[in-house]
Amino acid sequence: MKKEEASRINCSMLLQHINQAVCFVGRVSKVHPSGKTFTAVDGEGKTVTVELNCCLEEELSGVVEVIGLVSNKGVLMAATYNLLREDRGTPFDLELYNEALKVIHDFPQHYPFEAAVSG
Amino acid sequence: SLTISFGLINILPISPGWRVMLQNSPQVFNWLNCMAEENILAQNCVCVLKRHVTNVLKDGRRVVIILEIEVIKPAGEVGGKLGDPVPYNEGKALKYFIIPLTAQKVVSQPAPAQENRLPLQPQNKMEVKSFNRDFGKKAPLAMPSTPGGSSKVVPIASLNPYQSKWTIRARVTNKSGIRTWSNSRGDGKLFSMELVDESGEIRVTGFNQEVDKFFSLIEVGKVYYISKGSLKIANKQYTSVKNDYEMTLNGESTILPCEESGDVPMMQCDFVPIGDLESRDKDAIVDVIGVCKSVDEVTRLTTKTNREVSKRSLSLMDMSGKLVTVTLWGEEAEKFDGSGQPIVAIKGAKLSDFGGRSLSASFSSTLMINPDIPEAYKLRGWYDKDGHAVEGQSLTELKGGSGGGSTNWKTLSDVKNEHLGHGEKADYYSCIATVVYLRKENCLYQACPNQDCNKKVIDQHNGMFRCEKCDKEFPNFKYRLILSANIADYGDNQWVTCFQESAEAILGQNAAYLGQLKDSNESAFDEVFQQANFKTFVFRNRVKLETYNDESRIKATVMDLKPVDHKDYIKSLIVNIRKLAM
Repeated sequence: MKKEEASRINCSMLLQHINQAVCFVGRVSKVHPSGKTFTAVDGEGKTVTVELNCCLEEELSGVVEVIGLVSNKGVLMAATYNLLREDRGTPFDLELYNEALKVIHDFPQHYPFEAAVSG
Repeated sequence: SLTISFGLINILPISPGWRVMLQNSPQVFNWLNCMAEENILAQNCVCVLKRHVTNVLKDGRRVVIILEIEVIKPAGEVGGKLGDPVPYNEGKALKYFIIPLTAQKVVSQPAPAQENRLPLQPQNKMEVKSFNRDFGKKAPLAMPSTPGGSSKVVPIASLNPYQSKWTIRARVTNKSGIRTWSNSRGDGKLFSMELVDESGEIRVTGFNQEVDKFFSLIEVGKVYYISKGSLKIANKQYTSVKNDYEMTLNGESTILPCEESGDVPMMQCDFVPIGDLESRDKDAIVDVIGVCKSVDEVTRLTTKTNREVSKRSLSLMDMSGKLVTVTLWGEEAEKFDGSGQPIVAIKGAKLSDFGGRSLSASFSSTLMINPDIPEAYKLRGWYDKDGHAVEGQSLTELKGGSGGGSTNWKTLSDVKNEHLGHGEKADYYSCIATVVYLRKENCLYQACPNQDCNKKVIDQHNGMFRCEKCDKEFPNFKYRLILSANIADYGDNQWVTCFQESAEAILGQNAAYLGQLKDSNESAFDEVFQQANFKTFVFRNRVKLETYNDESRIKATVMDLKPVDHKDYIKSLIVNIRKLAM
């Protein structure tokens, strides 16, 4: 799935996007010992469970951006993820990101991200 | 002739007579002498206005002068207020008092038994026994008496052109210097001062002989008994003093020092919140009070008439969270001590539209540091608790704009669409833009090595460099930057010129080092420009339409640049988006 088609959401929007491609940004909370699943917290302090299609090969911590499909049960089935570096520049402000997220959802007419991207 | 009867709502002793408020009166205020001493004209009595004269004041208000009044039903028999009277001119200042030209005392006889209702026409007219009384002889109240004991003290608020025999007790809050003039009609001199007492304030002027008589006697801050000045309608253009009248001293006027002055107030001010100054007209005279948040050093400048004058700017902030720049002049500027962020109050400051809105203390303004007034204590308390942390927004556009200048945010397309810089004066604006091109050719020039001189030197080709401005030759020079750049945002781009400081900030290197690189290491020099490209900054720019050889072009100069604080920027964007949605 393409990142451009995935809607940016937080935990409270999960259930409205069942079976849809989403992009979630949050802070890694707990990694399951199996390395196949972990939980992450969004800017509002709510938690989501992320399931990976392959095992984690690295230490996962900090702010992560996950793209995937939302299952019927509200679990994020990850297709891909990437860690946002916090050792350089300004640290990522999750609360501020959440505020921006609310803006793009409150004014979809001005933020038509779902519109088809050319090519 | 028509006789109208009124209920007498209120009666207040105001020396030398009484202020009477009459129900049913088209205009409200009157002043009667004597009368109530014998409790005849008492609250709630019913009276008839027998003879009166009505004057219309300049502002439309009418004043009724009672010449003859008759009590037809004494207060005791009325037994309370009649109905529920409402003041006719709600909220109008109760300040006009007129003394009747002849006072008449009316004595009422006990009324024959009658129904207790308000007659429209006097039905049982009582016999009136009236006789003249000289007013001014007997004091109805114990008011502070003058040294001579002959006249009573009246409040400044009661002064009016219809009375000439009065005395006020007031403090001098401001005294001007002696100003002289000379014209075809001869020479003259004058001085002016402002007086304040518990009831109000008034401006006073003395001419010629009165200058000689009184000028040296008057000391600012002291209290005096002043009597028998002439009153006329005030010219409000030059003063913020709140009084419809102003006074002129004449040959009959007297001024005597007063010893017991404790309860006379120090100042009458009508402070305008700094935030409200934006809505006031330029050239208005206002009173302000605020915390002196910062103060600059004294500077000296030469006026057009080649006079040297001292000048100092300070920044004033009040509880509106707004700041304004105040300029002091002369001795006041030199003596001002802004340490400890004192409370500064200025009476009669001049509002100007310089930089948006700014204030200037003129020769007729009064500057007070930490005045002993309630507003000052309130400000101190607020500032020490919360105010010191408030960043504040300044109404005055400072040159360069950074640090306190009120930000005029524009996008680059706004600058073109709004024709900024096309007016008489240059326009300043702030924007967030990205550097998209830097012209590295001819960005450095050889400048005079003198610290205060930046003029381009002429290479003599003999190892010496000549500065025409300093009229000297030097074996060296210093490199300085003039960088031409193109900056862009989502909507448009703009060619700007960056001088030394802003150029060094964009390039991240100082001019001397860059000059060295240019001469020795071309690729390293180029690298500096590569690295600097596509950086985003908050620019503070100046634009002005300049005409050169019949060609007019907008010239934009970078006054200041700062790295973008993304968090702050995002926060302000979110706030603005939400505001737009409301």
